[in-house]
Amino acid sequence: MLFLAPLLLWFLAAAAVPIAIHLINRRRHKTIQWAAMQFLLKASRQSRGKKKLRNILILTCRALAIAALALAAARPIVSGLIGWGGGSIDTVVLLLDRSASMEIRPGDGLASRRETAISKVRDAMADLGSARLVLIDSASGRPQEIPSPEILDTLSSTASTDSTADLPALLARAAELLTDITGRSEVWLVSDLQESNWKPDDERWAAARASLSALPQKPAVRVLSITGPTAANSSIRLLSSHRSGDELLLDLEILRSGEARGTSAIPLTTQLNGSRTTENLTMPGQSLRFQKRIALPAGSETGHGWLSIPADGNPRDNAAFFAYGPARPIQSLLVSPPGESADYLALAAAPPGLENHATRRVDPAEAAAAITADLAAILWAAPLPAGPAADALQNFLNSGGHVLFLPHGTPSDISFSGLSWADPTEAPAGKFFILGDWNHTDGPLRDGIDGTPVAGNRLKAIRRQIPLGDFTPLARWEDGEPALIRRIFDHGTAWFLGSIPDYTWSNLGDADVLLPAVQRIIAAGAERFDASHHADVGSPAASLLPGETRSRIDDYGSPDPANADYEAGIHRLGERLLALNRPPAEDSPEILSREALDAVLDGTRYTLLDQAGQANDPNISRDVWRAFLVAVLFFLISEALLCLPKKTITEALPQKTAA
Amino acid sequence: MKYDFLDNDLLSRLGSLPIESRVPMLGNVAGKHRSPHRGSSVEFAEYRKYVPGDDTRRLDWKAFARSDRFYIKEFEADTNLRAYFVVDASGSMNFAGSGDSKIQYARRIAASLAYLLVNQGDAAGLSICTDKLHLEVPPSRRAAHLERFFSTLGKLEPSGETGLITALHTIAEKIGQRAFVVILSDLFTDPSALGDALQHLRYRKHDISVFHLLDPLEIGFEFDRPHRFVDLEDGTALVAEPNLIAEEYKTALRDFLTKVRAKCHDASADYQLVTTDTPLEPLLRDFLTARLPKSKH
Repeated sequence: MLFLAPLLLWFLAAAAVPIAIHLINRRRHKTIQWAAMQFLLKASRQSRGKKKLRNILILTCRALAIAALALAAARPIVSGLIGWGGGSIDTVVLLLDRSASMEIRPGDGLASRRETAISKVRDAMADLGSARLVLIDSASGRPQEIPSPEILDTLSSTASTDSTADLPALLARAAELLTDITGRSEVWLVSDLQESNWKPDDERWAAARASLSALPQKPAVRVLSITGPTAANSSIRLLSSHRSGDELLLDLEILRSGEARGTSAIPLTTQLNGSRTTENLTMPGQSLRFQKRIALPAGSETGHGWLSIPADGNPRDNAAFFAYGPARPIQSLLVSPPGESADYLALAAAPPGLENHATRRVDPAEAAAAITADLAAILWAAPLPAGPAADALQNFLNSGGHVLFLPHGTPSDISFSGLSWADPTEAPAGKFFILGDWNHTDGPLRDGIDGTPVAGNRLKAIRRQIPLGDFTPLARWEDGEPALIRRIFDHGTAWFLGSIPDYTWSNLGDADVLLPAVQRIIAAGAERFDASHHADVGSPAASLLPGETRSRIDDYGSPDPANADYEAGIHRLGERLLALNRPPAEDSPEILSREALDAVLDGTRYTLLDQAGQANDPNISRDVWRAFLVAVLFFLISEALLCLPKKTITEALPQKTAA
Repeated sequence: MKYDFLDNDLLSRLGSLPIESRVPMLGNVAGKHRSPHRGSSVEFAEYRKYVPGDDTRRLDWKAFARSDRFYIKEFEADTNLRAYFVVDASGSMNFAGSGDSKIQYARRIAASLAYLLVNQGDAAGLSICTDKLHLEVPPSRRAAHLERFFSTLGKLEPSGETGLITALHTIAEKIGQRAFVVILSDLFTDPSALGDALQHLRYRKHDISVFHLLDPLEIGFEFDRPHRFVDLEDGTALVAEPNLIAEEYKTALRDFLTKVRAKCHDASADYQLVTTDTPLEPLLRDFLTARLPKSKH
């Protein structure tokens, strides 16, 4: 039996109160000298039979009334996951979310959500008796027959991981499994309802629901939601990493749980190739983004390391792993006719001081041959390409490259993937096109990692071209026309900026806007070279290729070899060196709403049970409450009836003088 | 007055009421009570035929003149009354719920009636009984005798089990002449034995009055918590929850009272069930009034 408020079961002890009062009262008797003893003895003898039984019944009624009240208050569930009527279940398919977010604990020293869920399931299975248990865990997605629920918490397939969970895939797998299972079955879905794991908009839900509905014996679906308060927690995430010569630039983010207030110092431990250093970071609020530059040893070709913060509410989000390969020059290509604009762009792409940055200008006619896969980015300040150049540019974008398109000043009907330039327009005499608004958190004009904004308001143009097509605007002129737009291709990104660094166009050449924008676009394009050393746990890049073997080579934490595939760390896969981190989805705080849950499990008539006793389905326990309250009434009325005196005898006794 | 069980005002108010016997009394001294013997009284009783040996002075010559037969004219003889107050001094009489104990109430009744009896020229005697003691103060008409009567009553210390039945049989055997026997007791004894004792007294033609004294608590049996009941007579103890056995207790008491009343009725005894919270004056006034001959009402 499951109780939504199990702490109230302590009040069951109050059932002993009437008995205790009875016993205490018997001991607290008063002594009286009595004359009419013969009647008392007779009455006492007569009351030993039925009277004693009646007395016991009265006490029992009182005790049961209190017990029933305590049980009602504890909110028992009749038809829930572990409720009554579940005894005839033949098979239980347990879908266990063991993503990193399930490792959060409600308080210091308490069990994690995953451990709590396993404990609940184990108890429930004990209640069910001989029901068969099949586990499908979110990390492996493989069904596993569990011989005894008692061993659930000892299995490596229920242990903690740094992976994410794919709930629609799990349910589909359960439906597929149930096609081979006969008898009454139930699907128990245990999760913290993290929205990024549930993917409510995923089209696979419909297929999973349809598969369940198509089963000959439709299984009951129970969702055990493990939510509720959590202990104070901070997490660290590696946003990006790239090597610049003998320096490794790590963009990091530290988040604190929502309850955290004020400034605090967090020690950050850095481990690089076996040597550790610790420094204190000052957290001004709930989040901190910063760039950490790590000087690499001279001549270091490859290496790895990790950064960690102290253990807290979730031990799975306290480390970020990184790896790097040999330094390589960051090359960019400038496709533009020679001129002032080309000079400024070349300077912005490879400014003095950045030795590893190199750029090469080619005329538009030579572009097709000049576009190669080792380019980080292309600055296209020429009419939009067509023919072989357009194909090469398209391939470049699809493979992860970044291209910044700039206007060329002449009207043209040529479009590239549906994007084109409007005719050039000039500002009225004495007036300028001024950048009115831009995205401060995304795109090349975003604020710096320390919060310093790009001086976009200094950009003034007298001439511009407006990009046309389907895109996402990231900056607009004061009149609302787009100034900077983005269009994402397969792996790459195309950017359109509406003016050029030429004194007949704008002051873009002043570098307040151009330099950071170009450098950021080139850096984003270069990330794909460094990305070969980084992957998320559970992603395809983290999988073993034929002939490869996996070994974890970092010294962080206590790795579980049985779960190596699902743990973050520095992994060597054959010849590859890979830093695996938990997927970003695991840091998402959004919880699936009840409406979204209803939508994804529509038609399954699922039952939602909240382990924390909150936001559960009131329909589950309401009737049980009533049953217990009715029982309370019944016992109280029975007790009252048993206590009723017999009037006839009292009336027959003389009260005063009689002759 | 030095005896706290005597109330002067009460006695003076009750002084106008005579104590009448319900049966003719035999006595050596002329008094105001009827005697079974015909004697020289002013009150005509009956005619009867002359038999040889009768005193010829009592022949009614006028009747002889009318009927030519000899009749003896008989008159009621008046004599005095001897009252025996039998006070139960068993331990149970010591029980006091909230007011007077039963023995104290018995003292007040006995002393008041004895005073009134002596005051009207009758004799009052006292018999105190327990299982170990049978103390007697012989009846006397003298006013000085009352001092001994009251003193004995005052010194009475109830204890032990009741010896009422034995005492009544003893009194029935011992008293040769008819007497007025007033029993003051809670009658916590076997009703059958009590009935036998009363029948014995009745057989001896005594006038019997029973004051059955009970405390209101013994009847109501109202308690708010468990009690350890200790028997006043033999010390037996019993822990009980009164609320739970009240019904059975009252049933047993009711049966007992019914039996006692029946036994008293069978022995023509004047039965009074009295609770110790009953005011004494109305009790005694009703008692005395009820004993008056109907013509004197």
